[in-house]
Amino acid sequence: MAVWKDEFMNQICILCVDDEPEVLEAIERDLRVFDDIFPVELAASAEEARKICSTIDGREDRLGVIVCDHLMPGETGVELLASLDVIPGAESARKVLLTGQAGHEDTIEAINRAGLDYYISKPWKGEHLQEVVRKLLTQYVLDQSSDPMSFMSVLDAGMIADAIHKKGMASDF
Amino acid sequence: MAFMPKIGMVLGLLGLLLPWWVSIDGLSSEGARTLGVFIFAAIFWMTEPVPIYATSLLVILLQVFTLSSAGFFQSETGGTLPPYGSFYASLASPIIVLFLGGFSLASAAVKVGLDLNLTRWLLRPFGQAPSAILFGLMLATAMLSAFMSNTATTAMMMTVILPMVSVLDKTDPFRKALALSVPFAANLGGIATPIGTPPNAIALAALNQLGVKISFTTWMLLAVPLVVVMLLICWQVLLKLFPPQSKTVSLKLDGKFATHHAALLTYLIFGGTVLLWVTEKLHGIPSSMVAFLPVALLPALNVLQKKEIRNFPWEVLWLVAGGISLGVSLKENGVADWMLTRVSMDALGPVGAMMGFCLLGYIVANLVSNTVSASILIPLVIGFASGIQMAEADLTRNVVLIGIIVSFSMTLPISTPPNAIGMSSGLIDTKDMMKAGLIVGLVGGLMLIACALFYWPLFL
Repeated sequence: MAVWKDEFMNQICILCVDDEPEVLEAIERDLRVFDDIFPVELAASAEEARKICSTIDGREDRLGVIVCDHLMPGETGVELLASLDVIPGAESARKVLLTGQAGHEDTIEAINRAGLDYYISKPWKGEHLQEVVRKLLTQYVLDQSSDPMSFMSVLDAGMIADAIHKKGMASDF
Repeated sequence: MAFMPKIGMVLGLLGLLLPWWVSIDGLSSEGARTLGVFIFAAIFWMTEPVPIYATSLLVILLQVFTLSSAGFFQSETGGTLPPYGSFYASLASPIIVLFLGGFSLASAAVKVGLDLNLTRWLLRPFGQAPSAILFGLMLATAMLSAFMSNTATTAMMMTVILPMVSVLDKTDPFRKALALSVPFAANLGGIATPIGTPPNAIALAALNQLGVKISFTTWMLLAVPLVVVMLLICWQVLLKLFPPQSKTVSLKLDGKFATHHAALLTYLIFGGTVLLWVTEKLHGIPSSMVAFLPVALLPALNVLQKKEIRNFPWEVLWLVAGGISLGVSLKENGVADWMLTRVSMDALGPVGAMMGFCLLGYIVANLVSNTVSASILIPLVIGFASGIQMAEADLTRNVVLIGIIVSFSMTLPISTPPNAIGMSSGLIDTKDMMKAGLIVGLVGGLMLIACALFYWPLFL
């Protein structure tokens, strides 16, 4: 067991993007439970979201989950999500589209081109959003983190314990 | 890098280079180099500037180049140094193969779901009363961790208890009992067999180097009664500290044993190997020979494939091998004897000194890896024993004692990986773990010493 853990571990962030301030505030409130461990960042537009992504990358943190509206002035949510793959630090982020106005075509586009992980339609329930983000963050740390165990108390503990068991993630010393 | 690893890096390297600058009274130059490697290993293992299995590999590397007959230096005393192959041999020593056998069985068991289904089956007779379920969980955990990795067993059992915990009232102290029972039972269960946990391997390998063979059966005769008693004590301690509020606990125990081809083969090989292991004393086939049955048969029958083989915890074998190879040099070059002439322990007497080692082992193992504690302390014990010309049977008992005492260290989340998993669940506070772990550990330590003094002499 490592007794002396590196104190400056890189953090995994959550990014919320919506052009309506009240909506953004509501999302932030729902996801506040994660903020201690997974800093929640807010952006009012796709452009701002990109800026935040580069700050996240700049401090060597990573983007774990993005929750994004579709129809916004300027670039749409789906376009932003589709381009995440090439944004440093955001390549592996799980993608949630949270929208009321996405049409059939946009939704297909989001799934096929942006590799959407989850679609939530507005209005949404706080608990549901929390549950979805928790699942996706769990998947993210199981894929990307070298120490998924440390996230057991905030994320889906059963899923993490199962992975430790099946994949032999923790050494016996 | 954090503070301790940095300090460890500097001190460890200084320790390694010490013999080149300072001539050490009473030690040949190869003895001094061995001492350097030992100090380096001890400090690196404890402070972890590099992962502990990497330290083990460095130990082998250093010995191959500085302490083998083909290395950079010749023996000063005119003797011959061991060939470098004898250091590599630690990577495939019988005890390592025994563990490899355990890994093969465990990997196949996980693949076909044997461990989980066995747990459910074992738990069925325990009904719905919280206290009975708690004991059932501990018994199942201990039985599995006796043959599989303590850590993997704990992780699996967490998936069994988390659904139970989620339906309990948030203020029910029993949640804590559940979350502590699994890691504690896994720590205890590891003691039960030679392959239960790596420190057992360190003890057995050290005894092998001394020419003492302990059969699988004998180890179990020594350890199983202790484990059973400690499970009962631990169960009662947890019930007293965290009494259940609800009258019943629901437990989902559905799930059937798989019956496909690979599953059936796994049951057969698992059952057969374990049976041959525990009956070693009756038929006399060494457990390390038996261990190669699953190693060879499971891949041959296509139960284990490349993917599973790559997923074996190879780093555990490397860690243990480093400890074993260090033993080669320590024994050859008279370092152990030398250490003990520097430290006067005669005043304590053999029993007093052993209690001292036990206490030291307990404390150190609470702070660093159990395997590392055993790897550092067992050579010291052997040195001490030869210093006071201890009888072989006493020495054997003392080595086993140190191999086991480290498994009683379960006070802190960092004490063992199972503790870390229990803690990560977020259900317990550090002080809960400290309170329960301290009681179980100290009672266990005393029971162990009592065993060593009064019960083990029947077999050793």
